[in-house]
Amino acid sequence: MSDAALGRTPNVTGTKTFSINYGLFAFAIVALTILYICARLYQQAFGFSMGLDASSPEFDEYWMTLFKIELPVLYGAGALCWTYLFLTRDKNIEAITPEVELRSYFYLTMWLVVYSFCIFWTGSFFADGDGVWHQTTLRDTPFTPSHIILFYATIPIYLFFGVGSFVYAMTRIPAFCRGISLMHVFAVVGPFLILPNLGFNEWGHAYWLTEEIFSHPLHWGFVVLGWCALALAGVLMQIVGRFRELVPIVFKQDAASA
Amino acid sequence: MAIPKRKVNPKGETVISVSGLTPKAARYSRIFDFLVVAAVVPLFAGAFHLHVMLTVGDWDMYVDWKDRQYWPLVAPISMIMFPAALQAIFWVNFRLPIGATVGATVLLITTWLGRYANWWIWTGFPFTEGVPSQVIAGALLMDMALIVLRNSLFTSIFAGFAFGFVFWPSNYSALAPFYLPVEHQGMVASLADMIGYTFPRSNMPEYLRIIERGTLRTFGSSVSWVSAAFAGFICIFMHQLWWQLGRFASQTTFLKNGDVVKSFMGMKSRRAS
Repeated sequence: MSDAALGRTPNVTGTKTFSINYGLFAFAIVALTILYICARLYQQAFGFSMGLDASSPEFDEYWMTLFKIELPVLYGAGALCWTYLFLTRDKNIEAITPEVELRSYFYLTMWLVVYSFCIFWTGSFFADGDGVWHQTTLRDTPFTPSHIILFYATIPIYLFFGVGSFVYAMTRIPAFCRGISLMHVFAVVGPFLILPNLGFNEWGHAYWLTEEIFSHPLHWGFVVLGWCALALAGVLMQIVGRFRELVPIVFKQDAASA
Repeated sequence: MAIPKRKVNPKGETVISVSGLTPKAARYSRIFDFLVVAAVVPLFAGAFHLHVMLTVGDWDMYVDWKDRQYWPLVAPISMIMFPAALQAIFWVNFRLPIGATVGATVLLITTWLGRYANWWIWTGFPFTEGVPSQVIAGALLMDMALIVLRNSLFTSIFAGFAFGFVFWPSNYSALAPFYLPVEHQGMVASLADMIGYTFPRSNMPEYLRIIERGTLRTFGSSVSWVSAAFAGFICIFMHQLWWQLGRFASQTTFLKNGDVVKSFMGMKSRRAS
């Protein structure tokens, strides 16, 4: 696998022709799609049959086991990826060529595409499934079949790519190393804070309001933090601005060297 | 009367040739455009759907929640937020008058995806019970007003109001059959209510307590237009507020990093170099 595909930007002085490796990007999209569909099929198969009584041994076997597996695996994978990105950073980032910088902007955009793909599955598809689950059943635990997928699987997955995009940008792209992109912080930290906000949400549902009204104020913390996703527009504007400067430079060199 | 011929490009130039890009550069620009669209659409779809579900979801989820009092009021007030922000992002940065329509369309698509995959396949609620609201008509009006007026303030005043006001009539055609009266145990109920009685949910007691407070139950009438007008009034302010939020979200501010952080991330400090 090439350096570029792994997220490394080797400190070279230029190559003959500009190219991009789409391998990891395509793999991520396909693998995530399969993963999400499998998660939904698992809910279909064992949601109502094994997930209605939290005190039953079946619930423990089918749902709490999944919960205990997905937390360390997903957070561990995230920590490994972020550490890898940091350790393989370019040690002289200002010396990278325009070509390498342009390629890094392409890869950063791919990180953001995968991040937004995960936001869709979490914020729309599985959150909708959580809503309909709680309209159908009365829960006796915060760890419902819908929550075990939504909160403890899909959220760590989008954190993987959100934080990953942030580390990638800071360690590969000069502008994102010189300064912190304010909108990138909003776009990653806002959705990230949905996870700790679960504490407030579950506390409220346990002692205060039931889950049955989906619009009640106990859920509005998620709403406000979800608004931060809009800030991705600012990150894309930063990318577009530099992209516009780099393209004429890189492709002039590219045409001359071809 | 003969229509005069338009002189679109007298020199025969294309956009690409004017830009001065080589064919390869143009190809990569197109790839980049595709990636930007691929990043924008699912992100806004997910965030917008979540926003709607957790602010007005109950009204949007069930046909028997779609009353004449609160649904035409709270749904457009919530649903104008993201379209207004997207309108600002697309218009201010790219002069594309499509933001509101994009937002409304992706919301409807993702909502129906959930209705099919979760509501129908997983829990067995019939489609007739889960008919969602749509705001495409209002969003089109907003984008059209922006093209004509080219000004966010006037768009807020005229199109913001229109967005809220047309919500009720633009949804009425799909929902009219559910407002037909039927007799149930000697009482008059709407068809929507009957579907709700047949497929009970955990939010029903709250539904009865919250909205069946008025005098006309769930039947729409002239009072629905009062709700629509009130929604339009609030939407004027919501549009402007979220337009400004959209502008804020698309700013390109970098906060300066200290030398320690920069060197930690791989940038040699000037003193070191």
